[in-house]
Amino acid sequence: MGIRFDKLGVVIAAITAYGAFLAPFATFRANRIVAGEPRSILEALPSPAGLVLLVILVAAGLVALFKTPLAARLGASAIALVSLALLIGNAGSYLTPEGNTFARISPASGFWLLIFAFTLLLADVLTRLQLSPVGRVAVLGIAAAAVWLLLASGQWDSLSILKEYANRADSFWNEAKRHVQLALGSLAAAVLVGIPLGILCHRVEALRAGVLNVLNIVQTIPSIALFGILIAPLGWVAANVPGASALGIRGIGAAPSFVALFLYSLLPVVANTVVGLAGVPRIANDAARGMGMTGWQRLSGVEFPLAFPVILTGIRIVLVQNIGLATIAALIGGGGFGVFVFQGVGQTAMDLVLLGAVPTVALAFAAAIILDAVVEQVATRRSTTVAA
Amino acid sequence: MIEIENITKRYGDAAVVDDVSMVIEPHTLTVIVGTSGSGKTTLLRMINRLVEPTSGTIKLDGVDNRSVPGHELRRSIGYAIQGNGLFPHRTVAQNIGTVPLLLGWDAARIKARVDELMSLLQLDPAAFGPRYPHELSGGQQQRVGVARALAAEPNVLLMDEPFGALDPIIRTKAQQDLLAIQKRFGTTIILVTHDMEEAVHLGDRIAVMDAGKLIQYASPAEILAKPATGFVETLVGASDRPFKLLSLGEVRDAVEPGSADGEGIAAEASQRDALAELLWSGRAAMPVTSEDGTAIGRVTVQGLVKRAARPQ
Repeated sequence: MGIRFDKLGVVIAAITAYGAFLAPFATFRANRIVAGEPRSILEALPSPAGLVLLVILVAAGLVALFKTPLAARLGASAIALVSLALLIGNAGSYLTPEGNTFARISPASGFWLLIFAFTLLLADVLTRLQLSPVGRVAVLGIAAAAVWLLLASGQWDSLSILKEYANRADSFWNEAKRHVQLALGSLAAAVLVGIPLGILCHRVEALRAGVLNVLNIVQTIPSIALFGILIAPLGWVAANVPGASALGIRGIGAAPSFVALFLYSLLPVVANTVVGLAGVPRIANDAARGMGMTGWQRLSGVEFPLAFPVILTGIRIVLVQNIGLATIAALIGGGGFGVFVFQGVGQTAMDLVLLGAVPTVALAFAAAIILDAVVEQVATRRSTTVAA
Repeated sequence: MIEIENITKRYGDAAVVDDVSMVIEPHTLTVIVGTSGSGKTTLLRMINRLVEPTSGTIKLDGVDNRSVPGHELRRSIGYAIQGNGLFPHRTVAQNIGTVPLLLGWDAARIKARVDELMSLLQLDPAAFGPRYPHELSGGQQQRVGVARALAAEPNVLLMDEPFGALDPIIRTKAQQDLLAIQKRFGTTIILVTHDMEEAVHLGDRIAVMDAGKLIQYASPAEILAKPATGFVETLVGASDRPFKLLSLGEVRDAVEPGSADGEGIAAEASQRDALAELLWSGRAAMPVTSEDGTAIGRVTVQGLVKRAARPQ
């Protein structure tokens, strides 16, 4: 029997080899803004931890390289990821000189490449396991719990990004709350307006092309330009409509951010509502009329439930898109994780940029997994064919 | 009784249904036959006002069908269509209970009615009730469609090519079931089809439509014997007219005294089946048995051939 390679495994093994032996594992900087010095795994970790990590990485890379049972691949990726997550914390405390509060230790390209390689392996295994939607959310929950445990245990406290966090713990949670409020609030508003608008477009054919074209044009306006465009009208509203400024409506700040995100959200919601309703089997609709359902009963009892999985797909797109876009809101004083990103860029402090970027990516990723699971759960109960 | 009086439906200048008048007797099965585009489906859909007529009136038991709102009218009339139009997101039991729910029946009454109809159509309520339509075969879906149409005990049932999507064997069974249901509930059924064979087999009366006009409205025997126009004759099919005529009669009406050898045929079988069996087995006569299995006489090729001739 010949040795058989796994196609994806070849890529993973190559990345692992480069990440473990050639790329730096951690970066040491004397303070938060100077250029860093690279440190390899053996330099960054006390003996024998560095050697143990290398052995684990080589073994896991070999498991990925050859055609091996799924259980072995799952174990290899999990062990590699956990070791990397634990030991990067050790590198932080090992490399920081005793009593020095200015030095910054951050993960370097090798670490990120290794994380990427084994996350790829894990994702591949989970796909091949064909987990149910509930199973996938459970895996997400386990991963989130593991990260929370590591954060709570203080294992990572000596890493630069958490030092940035420690300096801004209060404002971090304020901005996190603002970020979620912006993303979810504008989504809720888009659903409340977009679904009825989509239904209207479905019923009134004359409206359809016009509404969808306008929303398409809105979608193509760059986000920063849209913020700029909104400053004038919202400023006017704040100045001239009684009570508007008391509600927090101003030319800059949260209000224009909210409005911009809302406008971007409308197209996916309206378009998916229209597509979903158009996909309702004509014959089911005819039967519903023939049995004496009123227009409203057909909409709520037949058309909407059948279109719902498609509409939900639109909501998923909007949520993930909004979590990312809300970062830009910080530019006009809207708050959110973008605050750290733009502050970090201004101070050339990459760790601060990461403090804003990492939670944003994690949120978007989690939202995508959860809503994908919900979409699948809703869709599997329904068949797409009606006729015999 | 359904009285259709001078009903016309125009789309623009084209009359899809053109000045049609006919009276449908209660407790009968009327078949509307025609080619596609003949206006037969439009005529059917004007009875429950899925299509509003341009002019003319339709009365149900003497009452104009426009005297109640359309959706209320439709709840009182059964409606079954080709491909059945079951709701894919609702279970079989929920599908069947649709109209009773719209009418506000209580849950116990709906469940009792759903179970009754499913049993009647040979679908085990416990096994099939909680399933979704896509988990059923085509024949089972069609039966659920009929059960759904009958759920609110309508006096009138409209069917638009209800058997169009079924294979021949299941179709024959479905047709038998429909005749049994009609007998049991006495429902007035109006069925649209393009298949004259089906029309002759099922119909008490047949209405032939062409280009929006009602060409002939008569009993199957009369349609076969005296087609009003060349179009009707074509639709009937000249080559198997005699066999269609035989298929209308039961063997019991063709029994002659005497006896014959070999396997017998049941008295309630059609004369067409009897002739086919005689020709196939190469016999001139065969015994006829009644329901309790006793011989009541025989049928002969000669006697059947006489009956297959054009009525004078």
